[in-house]
Amino acid sequence: MASRSRRPAHPPEAAAENLSVSRRAFLKTVGIGSVATAVVTPAVAQAQGAVKVVGPGEVPISLTINGKRYDLKVDPRVTLLDALRNRLDLTGVKRVCDRGSCGACTVIVEGRAVYSCSMLAIEAQGKPIRTVEGFSTGAALHPVQQAFCDRDALMCGFCTPGFVTATVALLEQHPSPTPEQARALLDGNICRCGTYVRVLEAAMNAKGVRRA
Amino acid sequence: MPDRDQVPEVASPAKPVANASHQWPPQPDILGTRVKRLDGPLKTQGKAKYAYDIIRPGMLYGRILRSPHAHARVVSIDLSDVQKAPGVRAALAIIEPGKNPKFPGDKVLYQGDEVAAIAAATEEQAGDALRLIKVEYEVLPHLASIEQAMKPFAPVVFEGGNLKRGNVEEEGDLAAGFTAAALVVEATYSTQVQTHVCLEPHGCVCEWEGDKLTAWVSTQAVHGSREGFAQALGIPQTSVRVITEYMGGGFGSKFGPDLQGIVCAKLAKLANAPVKLMLDRKEEHLATGNRPSAAAKIKAGVAADGTLTAFDAETWGTGGAGAGSGFPLPYIYVFPHRRRHHTDVYINAGEQRAMRAPGHPQGCFITEVLMDEIADKLRMDPVEFRMKNLPPEAPNAMWRQYFPRAAEKFGWGRRHPSGDATPGPVKRGYGCAANRWGGGGRGSKAHCEIYPDGGVLMRCGTQDIGTGTRTLVAMVTAETFGLPLDAVNVEVGDSNHPFSGGSGGSTTAASVTPAIRVTADKALAALAAKVAPTLGVDAASIVASKGKIYAKDNPSKSLGWKEACRTLGTEPVSVDGEWEQGLSSSGSSGVQMAEVEVDIETGVTKVKRVTCVQDCGLILDPLTAESQVYGGIIMGIGFAMFENRILDRNTARMVNPNMEWYLLPGPSDIPQIEIVLVNQPDRGVIGLGEPPTVSTAAAVANAVANATGVRIRNLPITPDKILNALALEKSGGTL
Repeated sequence: MASRSRRPAHPPEAAAENLSVSRRAFLKTVGIGSVATAVVTPAVAQAQGAVKVVGPGEVPISLTINGKRYDLKVDPRVTLLDALRNRLDLTGVKRVCDRGSCGACTVIVEGRAVYSCSMLAIEAQGKPIRTVEGFSTGAALHPVQQAFCDRDALMCGFCTPGFVTATVALLEQHPSPTPEQARALLDGNICRCGTYVRVLEAAMNAKGVRRA
Repeated sequence: MPDRDQVPEVASPAKPVANASHQWPPQPDILGTRVKRLDGPLKTQGKAKYAYDIIRPGMLYGRILRSPHAHARVVSIDLSDVQKAPGVRAALAIIEPGKNPKFPGDKVLYQGDEVAAIAAATEEQAGDALRLIKVEYEVLPHLASIEQAMKPFAPVVFEGGNLKRGNVEEEGDLAAGFTAAALVVEATYSTQVQTHVCLEPHGCVCEWEGDKLTAWVSTQAVHGSREGFAQALGIPQTSVRVITEYMGGGFGSKFGPDLQGIVCAKLAKLANAPVKLMLDRKEEHLATGNRPSAAAKIKAGVAADGTLTAFDAETWGTGGAGAGSGFPLPYIYVFPHRRRHHTDVYINAGEQRAMRAPGHPQGCFITEVLMDEIADKLRMDPVEFRMKNLPPEAPNAMWRQYFPRAAEKFGWGRRHPSGDATPGPVKRGYGCAANRWGGGGRGSKAHCEIYPDGGVLMRCGTQDIGTGTRTLVAMVTAETFGLPLDAVNVEVGDSNHPFSGGSGGSTTAASVTPAIRVTADKALAALAAKVAPTLGVDAASIVASKGKIYAKDNPSKSLGWKEACRTLGTEPVSVDGEWEQGLSSSGSSGVQMAEVEVDIETGVTKVKRVTCVQDCGLILDPLTAESQVYGGIIMGIGFAMFENRILDRNTARMVNPNMEWYLLPGPSDIPQIEIVLVNQPDRGVIGLGEPPTVSTAAAVANAVANATGVRIRNLPITPDKILNALALEKSGGTL
């Protein structure tokens, strides 16, 4: 055990358990493939039904984000995070650690908080994706966003979209969380300015989030 | 005699010099109230565009190839393959091999030192292309640690030697000090290297239009960055515009364009297209600065009554490859006879930069832990012992009041002697520490316009790095005009706005808000001059409050704000102003107390509670001020317990250049934090960003010793150190 235990609310493996391809499994596949190319070409492998090869090169995909369908072309290796930021200009999700340890890129996929840096864009197809840009309706902030503003649960703001998203996911599962639940379920997010005290206050005081 | 010079702030002007024309309002409507930060809605909705989020038409992605070696000569760089790679539009060598054999410009001095750079159409192509740059290195001997650098036969890696001995600082008569001592304590203390870990990495987007450069930079200094670009690129400052609308944390590491900014601008010029070049997390840890390590071998003397008599310290630290490692020592407490000799040690690692209260957490930890060791040996209460040795009270040196105040809030009276005698593995302990900081500031300029339709615009070339500067500018403007906050428009974060300095040293509020007040006062005077004939009163008697403009001695002579602005006709008020003395001063002080729980079977420490008494002059916005204090304490907990840049002792490569092994505090690590912000309205604005982070690690370390009965003299306080110290205690003791 490290000097403290951080149990991410949404570790990449857990997030990927229902998915057909996790990023790790994908990387493993690539690794095996590249070792095996001398003997088995991807085409042969595909013919044998061993792995489904997508790419190399850009492939067309479609993503459903905040209820809207987007058609785009990406390399199969492109993460959901990078597709959102670089291809779709949805830059509310932030890239900070890019390896599943800080939560700044959190999105909600099929109702669950997921690190979008640890999910490939191609595996997010067909799944409803919600990002921080989609929570507010018209001029009104989402109750979680309002609570963050009211409690000053943000400073530089770079971790804020991830925290807001994780909090929305938390409250949609547990509309009245205990402080322990809130801490545990937000523990997968990191803030350098040190806004945690007020993030937790905001999570405990956001009113009117309905169970999803 | 206590020596006042030891604490420089005590001697500096602690109160503002009176200004006849401009003052803070004695009974403000907005200042001093809990105002939510203005950019909250944009930030919480993910709509605030940081430099990292800027996407320009046809934009390329830049990447830098960095040295894998800690020390090497670059023999050759071959860009021929990478220039043909898919999507690559520009490539350049940063190091020019053999160009100037007299100047070691062809060397890399640490893992992560910049070698070459490319720009490609997509991020993926840029990443692929980096691997096609062929670099031949002649690997040279390197130094991975202070110990290696200080060995008698260490390879001389740095010109002029691996060590830079400073001058001996000496006050009083050291021998007499030790003669007067009834007790002498000797020990060695040290602190680790901490990296900034700004969540938004360093970097920028650069776009040329002819010879003019626009750069969206993640920076703490838009004007400093403009100057940096102009100098490095050899172009006039008038050809550079730097924009920083929002930025994701700097903590002292983002004062200029840096090499990656210059490289980005050059790539953009070469490719004739906008380029985004943001660093990744590993690059952040390796090459964008850090808090240098610090160490001190100290011999200190104290008289039987608890009065400090003498302090003799040999100190050292490393700021990496050729950078300094200074820190203040002894910290705050008065040692009448003292000597200190510091040595900067150079190793092959990324260079230090200013980091939130540079030097102070190190000096504070070393001094405050020493103070507790002495107090324990004297069997004196640590607070009582400190009170005996503080410098005289002054507005910027208020510890004599803050220690008792913190002790009462915290319940210090329940402290047990060191070594919690309660049965069971979980031990509790209390610790305390004090801080000081300069703050203050000057030099900001601003521009204000009042339009005939009632609109108000305030522009200042400062930047909001997350401290709430934008909100303070709006508050001061609205207060001065007697308007609600949403009636004023604020523009910051652009080098085309009037000059303001970098956001560092906790100087932004004290530099910017007086400039805003002065400028708004002038704008109001200009409006009053136009309104006076309509009201039939003397312009000098006109004041603005609660949405009205009226004669101070005859409030019935009044106009609503919009009505008053209509008298401007077609010509808006347009005035410039700048910082004047009288609204700010410098020097702040604070005290923190911490309670910890240590499991002596596992060595795991939990910080349970922190109480903080802190001043910062006039408090403009208590809501955001408290956030600064929370943040400082939490960063201090990271320094105390988790953060550590670890270099492999053989290769000098960083083994934890990420966020899963370089640990920051997370939501579960946060104690109950109680803040007492002391308002000092008569001192004007001072600044608050840094002091709260100074004393947390020291207070936590002292609480751990109080809980366990063993003393950890180096940071971070990890479970292995506690278990080792406990084991050592059984075989002879550390106290």
